[in-house]
Amino acid sequence: MLNIKNLTKSYGKRRILQDLNLHIKPGEIYGLLGPNGAGKTTTINIICNLLQADSGTIEINDRPISQATKSWLGVAPQENLLYKTLSCQENLNFYAQIYGLTSKERRQKVKTSLAAVNLLDRAKTPVENLSGGMKRRVNIAVALVHQPKLLILDEPTTGLDIETRYEIWELIQNLKKQGMTILLTTHLLDEAQRLCQRIGILKEGKIISEGSLEELRKLIPAKEIILIETEKEEEAIVRGSELGFTHRRYGSDLAFWLPKHLELKEIIAAFDDIPLDSIARKSVDLEHIYIEVTQNNHKI
Amino acid sequence: MKYWRETIAVAQRILTELWRRRRSLIFWCVFPIAVLLLNSSIYANRARISTALAMKFAAPSTLVGAALFFSCLGGSVATVVSEREQQTLKRLFISPLSGTSYFLGIFVAHSFIGIGQALLVYTVATFLGATFSGSILLGSLIILLSIAAYVGVGFILGTQLARRTEDVNALVATFGVPLLILGGAFFPTSLFSDELLKIARFNPIYHMNEALGAVWARGQELSEFASHFWFLLLFSLVMVILGWVSYRSMLIVERRL
Repeated sequence: MLNIKNLTKSYGKRRILQDLNLHIKPGEIYGLLGPNGAGKTTTINIICNLLQADSGTIEINDRPISQATKSWLGVAPQENLLYKTLSCQENLNFYAQIYGLTSKERRQKVKTSLAAVNLLDRAKTPVENLSGGMKRRVNIAVALVHQPKLLILDEPTTGLDIETRYEIWELIQNLKKQGMTILLTTHLLDEAQRLCQRIGILKEGKIISEGSLEELRKLIPAKEIILIETEKEEEAIVRGSELGFTHRRYGSDLAFWLPKHLELKEIIAAFDDIPLDSIARKSVDLEHIYIEVTQNNHKI
Repeated sequence: MKYWRETIAVAQRILTELWRRRRSLIFWCVFPIAVLLLNSSIYANRARISTALAMKFAAPSTLVGAALFFSCLGGSVATVVSEREQQTLKRLFISPLSGTSYFLGIFVAHSFIGIGQALLVYTVATFLGATFSGSILLGSLIILLSIAAYVGVGFILGTQLARRTEDVNALVATFGVPLLILGGAFFPTSLFSDELLKIARFNPIYHMNEALGAVWARGQELSEFASHFWFLLLFSLVMVILGWVSYRSMLIVERRL
């Protein structure tokens, strides 16, 4: 559905994208992760034909991006870009008109898009009277109203409370069930883990790791991760090293990668003469992979 | 077809937004009537003429000099600035909407408001006894050219100088109020000194005012006020072109998500 080959973009001497390659299959949710300034927004700007790349190609549905491919894209930007005094229905109807839908199609698509985001009962409510979560859902509905082939969700849950975040996740999962191809950029690793079939980690304008969560998990040779709290951290690190446990710091937490599954009493026994305040066991998740990849430049 | 559809969509959206803000709509109706009553009262007292006759002379300057200035110029600046502030322009950049349709959409919406104000001013004046002569077609053309000029200037100011809603007031006051006074919107140009009249000739509002006054207040033919009409036509064309160029240059700078 989306094919990006050797994309490069520089602003003066600053290289934003360096030979970026990315492929999204039809019906897939692809999560693009990366720290601020990694090049996510620049990539979206180029896909939307708002910025010209220095070199490289982008194809949507096997056609190079152009003015003609604009209607194949649905973009829900980070901010809710809506006309606040207009109702949900009027906002959607306006964009449907711009995208060339006939009046009959408009009536139908406005209804189905509002139903998709569960706002049919709020069709006539002015956007300014909606809650933050509802506004975000209208923002996504606007991106859906012309039935795009590829939906780009730019940080869809940033700034939302946890309940609203769950609502948006449910909405994205419903879109996935309907077969929509989605490119999702996010800072939230649990969001990517929960929603995306494949994940690409972008750093300094390059995809440094890409794959399904299972494939990415192979980057960390551990069955699980334990977090240890102790006053004698140096001694714990030496002991871990003797046992073949790789240690890492996640923020201020001291962690060890366990190469095989151990019972709790075996873990306590392994650190038996070191005073432990607490032990927490965690599965290897995207957070650990992300830190490993972005800080240690692993590649898959 | 594409341009027509997009133009109508943009115009419809602006007018629906205005309809939602009914208070603004009421103010846009009250404003020209208030100026008409004040202007005609000044005329009637100074020239010792009847209210009906004063209305006849006050209506053109009230309409093109005051009402259209604030609704079409101020309104266009406000439309562009509010799109920038709400960042909805970004969403339009992503869509297939052409710049031409966007410009025409704003023009059509403000023409609608302007024509509404024209009907209102002339209905009130007629209701108070004024009678009008002259070509309806020519007068309407002058009104449309004035709206085009105002929308063009609105685009230039909105895209180049105003970034926030607060800027709109400062801009309209700085550029507008002196030009309105010098254009005869509030005081008849017959009260101006020769020196002031010489300066006024460089003011497009003066020419709009004189042209509409000539055709609808004095019933003159085009040949009798040709210089005012051609000045207005040329000015409108230049402003529409410059407005378009300003919009394009804003697109180049701001076409980003």
